[in-house]
Amino acid sequence: MRPALFSRSASLGTPLLLAFLALAVLGLAGCATKPPASDPDALADYQQTNDPLEPTNRVFYAINNGLDTVILRPAALAYRYVVPEPVRNGLHNVLSNIGSPVQLTNDVLEGKPRRAGDTTMRFLINTTVGVLGIFDVATKWGYPDHDADFGMTLANWGVPEGPFLFLPVLGPSDPRDAAGFGVDIAFDPFTWVGTGPNKPGWKAFKWSRFGVGAIDSRERVLDATDSITKTALDPYATFRSLYRQHRRAQIEQLENDHRSTSPDWYPPPAAPAAK
Amino acid sequence: MILRRSLLTLVAVPALLPVSARAQSTEKASAFVKSTGDRLVAIVNGPGAAAGKRAAMTQILNSDVDVDGIGRFCLGRFWRQATPDQQKRYLELFHQVLVTNITAKLGEYQGVTFTMGRARMQDDEAVVSTTVVRPNNPPTGVDWIIADPASAPKIIDVVAEGTSLRLTQRQDYASYLTHNNNNVDALISAMKNQIAQNGNQAG
Repeated sequence: MRPALFSRSASLGTPLLLAFLALAVLGLAGCATKPPASDPDALADYQQTNDPLEPTNRVFYAINNGLDTVILRPAALAYRYVVPEPVRNGLHNVLSNIGSPVQLTNDVLEGKPRRAGDTTMRFLINTTVGVLGIFDVATKWGYPDHDADFGMTLANWGVPEGPFLFLPVLGPSDPRDAAGFGVDIAFDPFTWVGTGPNKPGWKAFKWSRFGVGAIDSRERVLDATDSITKTALDPYATFRSLYRQHRRAQIEQLENDHRSTSPDWYPPPAAPAAK
Repeated sequence: MILRRSLLTLVAVPALLPVSARAQSTEKASAFVKSTGDRLVAIVNGPGAAAGKRAAMTQILNSDVDVDGIGRFCLGRFWRQATPDQQKRYLELFHQVLVTNITAKLGEYQGVTFTMGRARMQDDEAVVSTTVVRPNNPPTGVDWIIADPASAPKIIDVVAEGTSLRLTQRQDYASYLTHNNNNVDALISAMKNQIAQNGNQAG
């Protein structure tokens, strides 16, 4: 099982939609009942879960689930049925290649030069040799992919994740990742090109990217989500747990990436003289 | 001079011992994971009906996995609140849930292979890293947490891409119990339902 349940693509939605969502969350905010101090175990559980907006979150979870059942999941199943595997992989690679500018910006902001180098090389190689990003040649040539988004960058800067949020359409999140999502849209050059009237080509491109991106992300987690809804007693709590664990793992991987920036032939710094 | 050297040796030897013991533990843990993994892969990719595979899987779970320990961990603070009878019924069901959930996924893992990575000690437990490769899927990093690696190795957790199996299960149960008046009997009947539903599909 690959737990990248909700791979984050910066192409979804618009800032306006986000503002609306933020208002909706504030307006509907029902609060979970905090257990009394006389029950320290329950209180510790409550604090560890850190989901004070749980009733509201569950409402959005139910709405999302409904939308998923009637729209996104059937679309993803149809996509899997109609489009052969190699074509799906090619489309996925193209989408991920288009996301390189956002990835690179975050690599730089995270102060990870080797990651920024990987992203740059991947973009150059896959756009040319990989035919506009269809084939991921760069991974075979020693430039593997990694995750980078502004939520991770904020975490790297020491911003805490905050309470759990389940956002309409976007799914599991937290204030840090929701803010990161908006900033990533602003980082994306495609947000700013072709915005004027009479640009039908750009409009078509943006909407196809959005649509194919949503269906591609959903198709890739079909098996994982199906098996979770089948095996979990409380799927909401399971998705909450998985989302957080997965984000923590991504951030940990980022923070542990200490690859040196000096080339192999460059003499390493002299070790302190032995006494 | 000689005295000083032998003194040094005396000091150095005990200091070195834990290091080599740890190295031995990680080696044993790696060998253990390799052998369990090989058997799992053989079951998944092997011929035979679902019922036979389920039986073989149960055998591996009973011999190589500390199912009771994981079960206690997953019930968390509710383990102490449960009566001995509830604890017993819960653990019996937990064994079945684990087998059912794993057998339900066998189809997804057709053609699976894995490669061994490095092993390290974390407190008293060994963490053995592997990379699991399924056809048409990106490779997945899977860590196996092994208790008592030197004497009686048992798997106590599986961490796939940073998500822990037992922690996820524990938070699932905790949430279910919180929404059902902390009633362990409610959890037990929910587990029964689940086995009845998923077990039929798995055959």
